[in-house]
Parts: sequence; C-alpha cells; structure tokens
Amino acid sequence: MSDRFDSTVTTTCGYCGVGCRLEAHARDGRIASISPALDGPANNGHTCLKGRFAHQFSRHRNRLTAPLIREHGGFRIATWEEALHRVVSELSRIRDDHGPDAIAGLASSRATNEDCYVMQRLMRAAIGTHNIDNCSRVCHSPTSFALRKSFGLSGATGSFEDIDAADAAIIIGANPTEGHPVAGARIKQATLRGMQLVTIDPRRIELADYAVLHLSPRPGTNAAVMLGLAHVVARDGLVDHDFLSARTEGYAEVEDLLGDYTPEEVSRITGVPAHDLERAAHIYAEAGDASIIWGLGVTEHLYGSEVVRLICNLALMTGKVGRRGSALLPFRGQNNVQGSSDMGALPDTFTAYRSVGDEEVARAFEERWGVTMKRERGLKIPEMFDAAVAGDLKAMYIFGEDVAQTDPNTKHVEAALESLDFLVCQDIFENETTKYADVILPASSFLEKTGTFTNAERRIQLVEPAIEPPGAARTDFDIITTISRELGHDMGFETPADAMREIAEMTPDFAGVTFQRVGRRGLQWPVAPDGTDSPILYEDEFILPGGRAQLAALPYKPPGSAASDEYPLILVTGRRLQHYNAGTMTRRTGNLDLVSSDWLEMHPADAAKLGIVSGDRAEVRSVVGAIEIEVLVTERIEPGHVFTAFHFPEIRTNLLIGASADVNTSCPEYKVVAVAVTPIGRAAGVPQLETAAT
Amino acid sequence: MIRIKIDGEETLVEAGTTVLDAARGLGREIPTLCFDDRQDAFGACRVCLVGIEGAPGPMASCTTPVRDGMKVDTLDPASRRVATAVVELVLSELPRPPAEHTELAQISRMLDVGTPRWPGEQHDVKKHDESHPYLAFHHELCISCGRCVRACDEVQGTFALTATGRGFGANVAAGLDEGFRASACVSCGACADTCPTDAITEMSLLQLADPEPVR
Repeated sequence: MSDRFDSTVTTTCGYCGVGCRLEAHARDGRIASISPALDGPANNGHTCLKGRFAHQFSRHRNRLTAPLIREHGGFRIATWEEALHRVVSELSRIRDDHGPDAIAGLASSRATNEDCYVMQRLMRAAIGTHNIDNCSRVCHSPTSFALRKSFGLSGATGSFEDIDAADAAIIIGANPTEGHPVAGARIKQATLRGMQLVTIDPRRIELADYAVLHLSPRPGTNAAVMLGLAHVVARDGLVDHDFLSARTEGYAEVEDLLGDYTPEEVSRITGVPAHDLERAAHIYAEAGDASIIWGLGVTEHLYGSEVVRLICNLALMTGKVGRRGSALLPFRGQNNVQGSSDMGALPDTFTAYRSVGDEEVARAFEERWGVTMKRERGLKIPEMFDAAVAGDLKAMYIFGEDVAQTDPNTKHVEAALESLDFLVCQDIFENETTKYADVILPASSFLEKTGTFTNAERRIQLVEPAIEPPGAARTDFDIITTISRELGHDMGFETPADAMREIAEMTPDFAGVTFQRVGRRGLQWPVAPDGTDSPILYEDEFILPGGRAQLAALPYKPPGSAASDEYPLILVTGRRLQHYNAGTMTRRTGNLDLVSSDWLEMHPADAAKLGIVSGDRAEVRSVVGAIEIEVLVTERIEPGHVFTAFHFPEIRTNLLIGASADVNTSCPEYKVVAVAVTPIGRAAGVPQLETAAT
Repeated sequence: MIRIKIDGEETLVEAGTTVLDAARGLGREIPTLCFDDRQDAFGACRVCLVGIEGAPGPMASCTTPVRDGMKVDTLDPASRRVATAVVELVLSELPRPPAEHTELAQISRMLDVGTPRWPGEQHDVKKHDESHPYLAFHHELCISCGRCVRACDEVQGTFALTATGRGFGANVAAGLDEGFRASACVSCGACADTCPTDAITEMSLLQLADPEPVR
C-alpha cells in the first residue's frame, strides 16, 4: 500500500456519532483514500460511504482559504492580522459599550473537544459571559437532560458492543442504516444472528425489514407508546421488583399512572394495534438482555425530554440497565456532539455538566482562569436569536455551524443575524449563515487537525491531521486561542494536548485522560485518575443521591402541531444515507452524484387524493413558511404523514419548522409539523428518485 | 485451553481457535487469499495449507480448529507446493498480473510464484463497470474468492453482490449484473476494501495504480 501513498495516519471520522477509526492515506498533500482501521472499537474494520469516500470536500475549490471581511456589501480577502484585529476590536467595543452578555458564541459539534473547550473558555473568561451553546441544543439536549435526571450521567449507558450481546432491542425514532450506517450494519448482523428487533418509527425504515415487529405510531405520540409498553410490562407480571426496590425510586407513582395506558387506549392515541404493543413489551421484557436505541425521532419534540425519561422507566422496570447487552444507547447525530457538550460548550454548565451555579466548581474555574464569573446561566441558542431580534444581543461568534440552514424558524434566525452589530463566522465553507457575517475566518476540517472526538458511546478518540489546512486556513484551536490572547486572556495552551491536560485537571470524570492513554482504542468516560475507563455505566449504582435511579411519572401530552383542515398532513424530517446534515461537506463530494436533491415522501393514498405522482413538484406549506420539492410516492410512510431531509440549501426544509420546542431544553420540534401539500405541475428530467430512495 | 505445537513451539490457546489464528498468534506467516478477519472463515482458496501430524494431507488452517496435542508444520513442503500451484493457477487466468500493492501480488511474491508456467485461456476484458462515483469493477481480475460477497453480507448486511457463473466463468455481479449504481449497493466500499486483486477498487485509486510490470 505504502508505495501509492506518501503518508497514512490513523484518525477518527468527522461524520456521524459512531466514531469510526479511519486510516487516512495522503498523496501530494491531498487525501488519496480512506480505509477503516481494523482495530477501531466502534467500527471493527468497517465504515460507510461518508467516512470512506466523502473526503474530497477537503480540497474543494470553494474551501475558505483566506480571511474575508465585509466591505461595500460584499466580501474582500484580508490578512489574518487585519481580520483578527477587526474581530478583537469589535468584540471589545461591544463588550465595553453593552456588557459581555451582549455577545454570544456557538461551538461546533463537528470540532474537537479541545476546540470546544477553548471556545467556551474564550466566551466565559476572555469575553465574560455564559452565552455559549452548541448544536446539541437542537438534537440530543433532551437526552442529556433526561439521562441526568433518571440515571445521573449524560451519555449512553453502554457501548455499540452491547448490540452484539443483546437478545432483543428496541429502536425508536432512529434510522441507523442511513444516519449511523456502521451501527446500522452492526444491528443488521445482530438480527441475522437472531436478535429480536422491534422498530418504532412513523416511517418503515430499512431496519424494519430485519425486525420481528415494526410499530408506526403517529408522529408526536412516542410518550403514549412507551407508557403503553410499560403498562403491559406491569400488567403481565414482567416487572423486576428486586431491581426496582434495590436500585430505584419513584415506581409507585409510575404504577399509578400506568393504569390509564391500556393497549387499547394507547392504540387510540398512537394508531399502533393493541396486540403489537403487547408483543413488543413481551419481546423486550422477556429477553435475557435487551437494549434500547433512540435518535432524534424521540428528542426533537415538544415533550422529547419526557419521552427519554419514559424510555429510562421501561429499562428500570425490567432491570435492563448496567450490564453487557442491556444498554440505553442514544445515537448522537454529529461526530462530537457528545464531546462539545461534555466540554461545557453549554450556557448552564462547565465541563461534565457541572452547573455554572455550583459555587465550588465555579470558584475552581475562576481561580484557574483568573477571572470572575456570574452564577446565572447564559442564553440557549433560540434565546440568543430572540435577544438579537430584541436588540439585547449585539454580536455573535459562530464556529462551525450553519444556523441559517439547520435551525428551525429560519426567517426568525435570519432576522436575528441581520439585527446583530457584528457577526464573526469561523468555517471551512461559506454557507447560509456566513452571508450575514462581518468577518469570515477560514478554519480546518477534521482531516487537518489534532485533538479528540467523543462518540455516542462516550468514547474519547484521537484525531490526527492527515493533510495541512488549505491556503491560509488555520486550525480552529489556533484561531480561538489567538483571539483569546488578543482579547487579553492568554490560555497558555501551545497544543490541544495542553488543553486536554487542563480539562483532566479540572474535571473528575476526565481525571485520567491523556492523549497517550487515549491511544488507538480510546477511553470511555468517566476515566479514573489511573486511566481506568467505563464501558458500562451503573453496574453497581446510579450517579444520583443514594445511588438510586429515578423513575418519572409523566403522562402523555399531545404534540405542539396537529393536522387540521388547512394543514392536513404531518411532516417529519430526517437524514439520507448519502448526505450529512446541512450537506456542507457531502454536497461537495461524489455523494452528490448519488443523490442530488431532497425529495418529499408521500403515501400513495395521499398522493392519489392530491393527484400527485412520483417526480411531480409540489409546494409544501406550514404556518411559518413554504418550500418547493419533488415528491416520491412510497408505502414506506403511513397515510397522513410526509417525510423529507434537510441537506440542500436550494430546498431549505427548515423554513417550514416553527418555534415550538422541548419544554425542558428548547430542542426544536423538527419532527412534527402540520403542512399542506399542493402539486405545482410536472417537471422534466427528474432524477431517478425510486432508485435513490430504496 | 488447548495445548498445541506449531513448528516445534508449544502454545496454549482457547478451544475453538483455528490453526491459522494460533499460528499467527505465534508470529508465523501463513499466506491466505480468501481469508479476511472481519468475515467467517471460508476455506475456499486452499492457500493457507499447513501440515498436521497424522492428517492424510495438507489442511486448510483457516477452517481447522485446534485439537489437544496437535502438531502443526506451517512450512510443510507438500502444503507449500500445493499453495504455490494454486496461486500460480489463479494468476494464469488473469489477463494481466495484479497490481503490486494487491494481496494477490504480495502472496505470489511471498510464495515466489513468478510467471505462470501454464499458458491457457485468460479472462476476457469485459466492459468495466465505472458507473459509480466511487467504485470500479474490473471483472477480468476477479478470482472468485468470495470476499466481496461475504463483506457485503457479513459486514455490511446489504446482500448486493452475488457469485455468478461456474468454473472458468465464475465471477461476481452487483445486483442482477446491472452494475453498482443500479444495484442495492449502499456504497460502503467494504467490497473494495477486502478485494485481494483490485477487481473491485476505488475509482480515485485507478489512476494511482502501481506501474504494471511487463509480462
């Protein structure tokens, strides 16, 4: 192999939260090929078309290779000195005139732990505000909230390996073969070996074909499904009372509540046949070991965080947590959305989810950084936009996130960005958000930097540069620490390893983490001072008072959006295999050749009513906006529902999404939007959607 | 634990371990062609042959489980002679030698196969499937080891590849031989990753292929 390549480094994939370990082969300063590392613990020598092939974006002609400054309504190329001076002087001016809380920052869930750590330190220590957040706000913040309340720690209770050991599994609100392909392949193999799989999703996802049972609840009724399953478990004597009495609190209240959720009643709410609910409950509860996997189909709802707590209830009632094969595995969306939150890039917590109001922790950071900080939390992402529109927030520093394409209520986001006095974007490409920037700083992709990512199984893994940043682009770590120093707060970090040293010293759950120990196999936090890591959480006790897990008695409540005469269909959004979120990276690779647009999936019955056939264009309208999109008629979706992705800025699906959000965490309700669909005539030369969708 | 002797060296291994794994655990080099750690052992190529005391002839080490007291000779002359002939026959069917970096080329170097002594029919250079943005399929280099088919089945779980034809006509097809693009392929690339001859390879690597030795 070596003769074809100049160099090969082992690194960690920058796409989804599976965290495949990759061998990146470079030639002539470019990535020539990527192959899976045979010893990658999450991927075991496999990877997907994103990790393996979608790397050409790293040298795409549109890469930002020099700083840009807004001038006369356009952008001009600037030197780093000039761009940094502009950023530092504007941020200083706004801080002096309006106070530090008039500035907010977003850390990137695609960037490393060290990048995110220095970003939150920049906001907290150099600027002086807790206005720092990351995109987990709009994906798994409900999971984080609920897992902390139910079990204690904000992360999966086990590992992907648990899938291999499970006798049964429930997948709810996740589509792993497209969103997390390598984990999806692992689940397929497990079912082929006999694992009993139950899939729960409004769409008939690919894994439904490998499942023994598929449930299609109406969007927004997951809580009723989970309560129904728990009802059957209680009714049919499948409760593990020894586990409940030894290790949990709160079952009595749950038991009282469950009486109302008979399979018949739940069937009325969800549309899932009562018999299927009974069967699903038995499959899960009667298995020796069973795991539950969920994704954004659970969290991105008005009561998403409550559904996660109900998932935890079910695992606790059956004693299926804290051992190999019985795990709760939230499939995190982006490569480092776990890590960016672990690092304290959140408005209410320092590293490892310790509150900014915790006097002892806050003092330790104040002492370390030589600053004083407020004890009240800062603004969450949606609150930042509200504050900008209200005129209270004057500047934002957005690093590696395209809020104008990916956040809900897009028009409001755009109004907010427009209202700002100063916006600095740090990214690898221009995007919808950089259109509003005053300064754009050219940054680095995961193939060009050093640090660590933390995957969906809490595994901290090394990221190593395979190629140099293009042109004058710099690493995010370099940019952020330089700006901090010029703002008068020198972090004293030469390299990302220095930042990890501080993280470990300041964070008990990371006490034993060093780059050397992370090595090739990674470390799953919490990591003890001697380097012992934690593949399985809660084997003996939960990390809550008394070591006891907390069950939550939470009733079903209807979603924020319901079908009406005016908006008769419910839109659900999600991902396609070939593309990744805003598509910034995958749209600049051969993946575009495989799938070149988003499309709307619709059941034949609805299509017939509207006189639509596959390939027609249609207008989709919600209360807040409208888009045009091609339609694919398919039985994978239930009548009354439609589905699309959000990968293409030409389509801008998120124009349809309103401000409705999870009651506890402000995670947007992306998954339930009432819409009307109107055909707008046949288009010529429509791509072969039938092929792409299967 | 099972006690066995490999090339005179004694070792203890778990029951169920194969002779191949046990030998590699001791650092012995046994050539393989249809074997990939990520897949179940297949035992088709007869290249991983070893001598086992008391066995009637050379044994495929990848599918032979260890037995207490077993004595293995990884350099058994009869086994090596057969393995070398197998690789030579495989090479004799190809219209051109495999690229230097491929596993097949490495094994033929290891076994010192050289140019095949048996001229005869060679695979026709059919139309290459280069319809996919990432995956290229050059059927004439296929040696029917089955690794790509098993990668698609056992690693990815997509079942897009199928063994086709018989005897000299044996090959592999994507879907109903309609090419990667039109098949159920999800473009994971596991087939290209495991292919020992570059019959399936990455489009972007085609231009990086090693210079072809003159034959």
